[in-house]
Order: sequence, then structure tokens, then C-alpha cells
Amino acid sequence: MTAGLGHISILLAFVLALGGIAIAIIAARAGEARYLAFARAAIFGQFVLVTLAAGALIYGLVSADFSIKYVAFNTTRATPVYYRVTGLWGALEGSLLLWEWILIIFAGIVAWLYRDRHRETLPWVIMIFCIVSAFFLGVVGFLSNPFEIISPIPPDGRGLNPLLEDSNMMTHPPLLYTGFVGLTVPYAFAMAALIVGKLDEAWIVSTRRWTITAWFFLTAGNLVGAWWSYHVLGWGGYWAWDPVENAAFMPWLPATAFLHSIQVQERRRMLKVWNLSLIIVAFSLTIFGTFLTRSGILSSIHAFSSGPVGGFFLGFLAVILLGSFGLVAYRADLLKEQPELDSMVSRESAFLLNNIVLVSALFTIFLGTIFPLLSEAVAGVQVSVGAPYFNSVTVPLFLFLVFLMAVGPMIAWRRASWDNLKRNFLWPASAALALGLGLFVWKVRDFLPLLGFTLLAFVVATILYDTALALRARKRIAGEGVWRGLFTLARRNQRRYGGLVVHLGVVLIMMGIAGSMSYSLEKEATMAVNQELQVGNYRIQFAGLTGSQQPTHFRVEGAFHVFHNGSDAGILRPALKFFPTQQSPIGRAVHQSSLSEDIYLILSGFSEVDRNHATLKVLVRPLVVWMWIGGFVIALGTLVCIAPLGTSVPAEAAGFLEPTAAIYSAEQSEG
Amino acid sequence: MKKNKRLLIGGLVILAAISYLVVGGMKEAIVYFVTPSELRAKENSSAGKFLRMGGMVVQGSLQKDLQTLTYKFELTDGTTKFPVIFKGVPPDLFTEGKGAVVEGRIGKDGVFQATTIMAKHAEEYSPHADGKDAAKSFIPAKEAYSK
Repeated sequence: MTAGLGHISILLAFVLALGGIAIAIIAARAGEARYLAFARAAIFGQFVLVTLAAGALIYGLVSADFSIKYVAFNTTRATPVYYRVTGLWGALEGSLLLWEWILIIFAGIVAWLYRDRHRETLPWVIMIFCIVSAFFLGVVGFLSNPFEIISPIPPDGRGLNPLLEDSNMMTHPPLLYTGFVGLTVPYAFAMAALIVGKLDEAWIVSTRRWTITAWFFLTAGNLVGAWWSYHVLGWGGYWAWDPVENAAFMPWLPATAFLHSIQVQERRRMLKVWNLSLIIVAFSLTIFGTFLTRSGILSSIHAFSSGPVGGFFLGFLAVILLGSFGLVAYRADLLKEQPELDSMVSRESAFLLNNIVLVSALFTIFLGTIFPLLSEAVAGVQVSVGAPYFNSVTVPLFLFLVFLMAVGPMIAWRRASWDNLKRNFLWPASAALALGLGLFVWKVRDFLPLLGFTLLAFVVATILYDTALALRARKRIAGEGVWRGLFTLARRNQRRYGGLVVHLGVVLIMMGIAGSMSYSLEKEATMAVNQELQVGNYRIQFAGLTGSQQPTHFRVEGAFHVFHNGSDAGILRPALKFFPTQQSPIGRAVHQSSLSEDIYLILSGFSEVDRNHATLKVLVRPLVVWMWIGGFVIALGTLVCIAPLGTSVPAEAAGFLEPTAAIYSAEQSEG
Repeated sequence: MKKNKRLLIGGLVILAAISYLVVGGMKEAIVYFVTPSELRAKENSSAGKFLRMGGMVVQGSLQKDLQTLTYKFELTDGTTKFPVIFKGVPPDLFTEGKGAVVEGRIGKDGVFQATTIMAKHAEEYSPHADGKDAAKSFIPAKEAYSK
């Protein structure tokens, strides 16, 4: 009953999506408001139907309706309600439905928000949304149906993978999908602009907030994934360069490049083709990521060819790439660039370099991710490309990116003069070098971390120095104090200051990565009760094992007394959980964070005979906690960027994205 | 013209830099995958090479010393058995009669010196393949379930 309702809703929505494509084209051709209203109604109709279908699946999960195969595979009678609901995205079929649901919610908001605007492009935007929606509905409706019936009905379900039963893990897919789907909005507007032939900056300006928001969700999704890996998977790391992780990370790179290069187009009318290409690539990568992770191709090329989903995704990907770049080629004459780069030492060229670095990173990660697939398909040789490849390739690129992050926001447009360079960079560069020297004298002697921390300090110093100058100007002009001044600055120039705050967040994340990559300690040992282990500044004493029966599993817990520099830092209790449905235990690592470092304990085994021995793995990872703090700082910066603060000066007017030097002199003349 | 030339040179320099990074990185990080039979067949040419070998842990072959964290066992693909030694903590899913993939080099004594053991990846919805492909559905335990 529930299953039937859900499946019929999906099929009806699929028909409506196909109809929507046709009506949108008619609306665009005829230019009549009546047809446009129909096209919008097709979007709203899909929204209602897909919501109904998602509701049906959630209802099935919550009411433990095991006649639905998906429910039987992803819940048990013992599963708490929260994890029943989130079971919606616990496996392939449901997560595709979630994707479609988010997509159609976005489409609905766009259709509703722009009901009186973009008369010319909106029908095409709706068409693009209907095409993408039809694709996902087709997959959910015909190839990977979450409403499939199982018979005979099992007495109990198999349940969610225990590692997924984590409240943060449950936020990871929705965040990531929101980011992926969010990129559909600028993509749809870009395609509409190409079709209509209105290739000015309108499509960029009207989707800017969407792009920033989508970027934020992509960032948050990846960070939560890393957080989950660190906190739940229990191997002590947060990023393994696993193909699945790469699939989620890759769209972030062109999306970040796009956010920067559109500023060049807005300001200098350059890079039109480039910007279109970036958004096409970013959108395609969201589809490619799903293909990579969900088609089974990662476990085997042959598994891929046996399932229909993979081929369907690949076909859709081909349609997107051919169609989109075909349109770009078709409009080539409208995309001719007039202005050229005036100087290599300018804001434009800093942004250009930023783009080159990001696209290079994307290219190298893409290559490393698909190389094993190509090698097997073409040469029949099975290989794997491990984390060392990705680290050795991306570290130099990202270090250069950090340098650009310091230079880009402060350097002048067109051509930077010596004066400009000196005014913006002399003090910050000196401060960063001093800090680098200090670190060297203290104890950081390795080249890469030394360079990394110095560059990161350079970014922070440029931002602080620039903001301090601007605050001084505010004080002189309006007598504003620090907080009042900051508020005025942020409100007048939301995107600039929001962007700088985001940069600070990125710096914090990179600081965490640099620290934990360079100075982690690791030790493992089998310990008898009361035995001690010394790792770095930590002394760990094994206090004993306890076993207890939990509602869903049996838990074996080790108690370890931790002393930091001789003082008592409390007892940490890593555990092994034995689930009846799983063959092997699942580790529950524990850690204690401080601003300077984390201590991380993994119980890897214990002697079942005397219960007096435990095998323990200890990791000391410096600065990790700053990665998560950086995430919150990025969220704050994003809010500053997009919050409707009632900016008195329209963002498009002169002065936006201007380095302080310019505002400073402008305000001096004003005062 | 002059501008185009400059762009071309710039592009080539960037391309060269990236190729250098990629080729250098790949050389270090590519790991070939072999079965015990394949490894036995080219045992001499494989000496010292960093490899990944997949198979089943032979029943009754596992000897563990928890004090020194040393694990000795044999891997088989059904035809050939290859001895492996590993120091450290194997993943939770590692046990006799189950599949495993080891990473490391052949030692002078002809025993495979594993630096990593990977156990079977048990994600629900990855399609199951058999034969040689099965081994590829093994991924490091630390990477298991990350998505």
C-alpha cells in the first residue's frame, strides 16, 4: 500500500517532468505567461509528488513495513526512530530519492522566487531542472526502485550498517547532496543564458547567492565526512583519498574556482567561456561522483557493466557534456573576449592562477581516482593509486594556493604598482617571516610544515592588517569603535568581508591538516593490566577490561588512564562492539581534544582467555581540532556573504571587492 | 600574435609542472595487484617490489603472537599458498577462512612481509563479483564504509 503509493508518485512525477520539458520549451518559444505558469506548475506538481514518495518511504521505515525490501534491508525492529528516518539515505535507492527530493525543492524555490523576473530565461531554467529531475526520477522509478516489494515478508529487518548509526554521519549525505544540487542552479541559469544568447553577467549575478550557498554545503559535507571518518571509523585519520571521498571532493574544486573567477567576469568582462566551462564541469562532476560511488565500478569494472544504473549515469553524463559544450561552441561568437590581461601582477592574474591551481588539483585527483579503472579496462592490469600519490601531488598545489589566498584579495585590479604592493604586503609579509623564523628557532625544522605555517601566517597577517587599516579609517571618519566598525565594514561590503572570514576558516583547516600530517605520533602495543606505555608527552596506563550487554550489541571496553606531562588527564575508554548481525567486532575509538593536539586511542584486540591483556593503538595528532573550528568559521563567513543585511551600497556598484586601500582613500576624500 | 605565443608558453610550463607532479607521484604510489599464483610465477622479478596480494587466509595457518603483535599465515587463491608475515594490528574483519589483501614486499626468506592487511569491505550495495575481481572489493579497513 505504502510502497504502491510511493512508486506511483514517482512514476507520475516522471511523466510530469517529461511534460514539463515540453511545456517549458513551448513557453520559451511562445513567450506567453500562461505557458510559463504551466511550466512552473509542472515543477510544483513534481515537488508534491516527490514529497509524497519520500514521505511514503519514511513512513514505511518508521512503521517498520518489512514488505518493502528497502525497509527490510535498512531497519530492524530495534532501530530507534531517528535512524529509521535517516535510513532514507542509508543505501543507494533511498539516497537517490533524497537527491531528487532536494533537487525538486530547489527547483520549486527557483520557480517561485523568480516568478516575476528573468522572463526570458526562466522557461529554459525550468527545462534544465525538468531534464535533471526526469533523469533521477527515471533512475528511481525504473532502475533502482526503493519501493520494491519483498516476499515472503521477513520477521525482522537486517538493519543499517552499524557504522552509519552516528548522528553526524546522518547529516553528511544531506549536506553533500544539498551542495551538489545547489550547483544545478547556476548551471541551469548558465545554460539558459547560452540558449537565449544573453551572455552578459546577468546569470552570474542572479545565481551568486546560490553558488555561495552550494559551495558552503559542499564544504560542510566534506568536512562532516572527514569528521565522521575521524570520530567513528576509528583509524585515527580523517581523509584517506578513497575514491568515494574524492568523488565528493572533486566538484568542490571547480566550484571554488568558479566563485573566484566570476568576480573577474563581473569586474572586467573577461573569462566568459572559462566560467561557463567551470560550472559545466562542476555540475558534471556531481553526476560523475554518483556514478563512481553508486555504479559498483569501484569494486570492479565487470560489476559495472552488469548493472543498468552505471550505464544510465554515464549516458546522462555524456548528454550533459556534449549538450553543454555544444551550446558553448554554438554561441562562440557571442563569447569573444575583449579585454585582456593588463599585467601579470594584478588581481585578475591572481584569480587566474588560483583557477589554474584548482583545476590542476582537480585534474590530478581525477587522474589518480580513475587510473586504476583505466588500467584494468585498457591493459587488464590491476593497480591501486594510494594516498602518497595524492599527497605528493596536491601538497605543492595547495601551498601555492595558500600564497594566492594572501595575495589575491589585497592586490590591485589591472596593474599593481610598487606602492600598492608595498602598502598591502610589506608589514604582513614581515610578520609572517618573523613567525616562520620563530617557529624554526622553536622546533619546526622541516621544510614543508615550515613553509606551510609561514604562508598561512601570511594570509592571516594580510587580512588582519587590511581590516585594521579599514577600522582606523572608520574611527577617523565616523568615530566608530572596533565592533561597530567591523559591522559597518561587513555590511557595506558583505562579499569581501564574508570572503575574508571564509579564508580565515580555510587557513584554520589547513593548519589542522599541516599539523596532523607532519607531526603525528603513532604507537601500538599489547599491554597487561597496570602496564604503562609512553607516547610523546603522554603516559598511558591500562586499568582493565569490562564487558557489558547493550540493547543492540555486546560491548568490550578497555579503561586507560592517561597522564599528560605527568598530570592526570582522565580515563579514556575505547571499546569493541559485537553486533549479532555482523561477523566481526566494530571498534569504537575515543579521543581527547585540546587546542594543541588530540590523543586518540583504539582498542584493537584483547585476550579472550585471561581478559587481562589488551592491544592498544595510540595516536597523538597535533592541531586536528582546528579543522572543525575552521568549519564553523567558514559557516560564519558564508553567512556574512549571503545574509540580507540591507546593504546600503548595492554590491554591483563601484567599491565592492575593492581592497581596503581603495576604500580607505575613497573615504578619506569623503571625510 | 605575441600574446598568443606568451599564453602558449605559459600553458606549456604549467602542463610540464603538472605532468612532473603526476608522473613523480604515480611512480611512488602505484601498487600492482597480484594473486598468490601470479606472485609465485614471477617471484624472482618481484623481489623488493611493493605489491598488493589478495586471497583467502588458509584455515589453520594463522599463528599469532600478541606480545610482539606478529601474525604469520598463508594466503591462497585455491591453487597456490603464499606465506605472509605481518607485524601490527590487523583489521577487525581479518580471520581464518576469510578473504584478505596484504600490502608489502617479498622478503629474502621468500615470505611476504606485509606492512598492511586489508579485510573485506562489506558495504551493502556494492555488487559482488567473483574470482580475481573479488579481491578488488577489498579495501583497507580504515577506508571501509567511508562514503
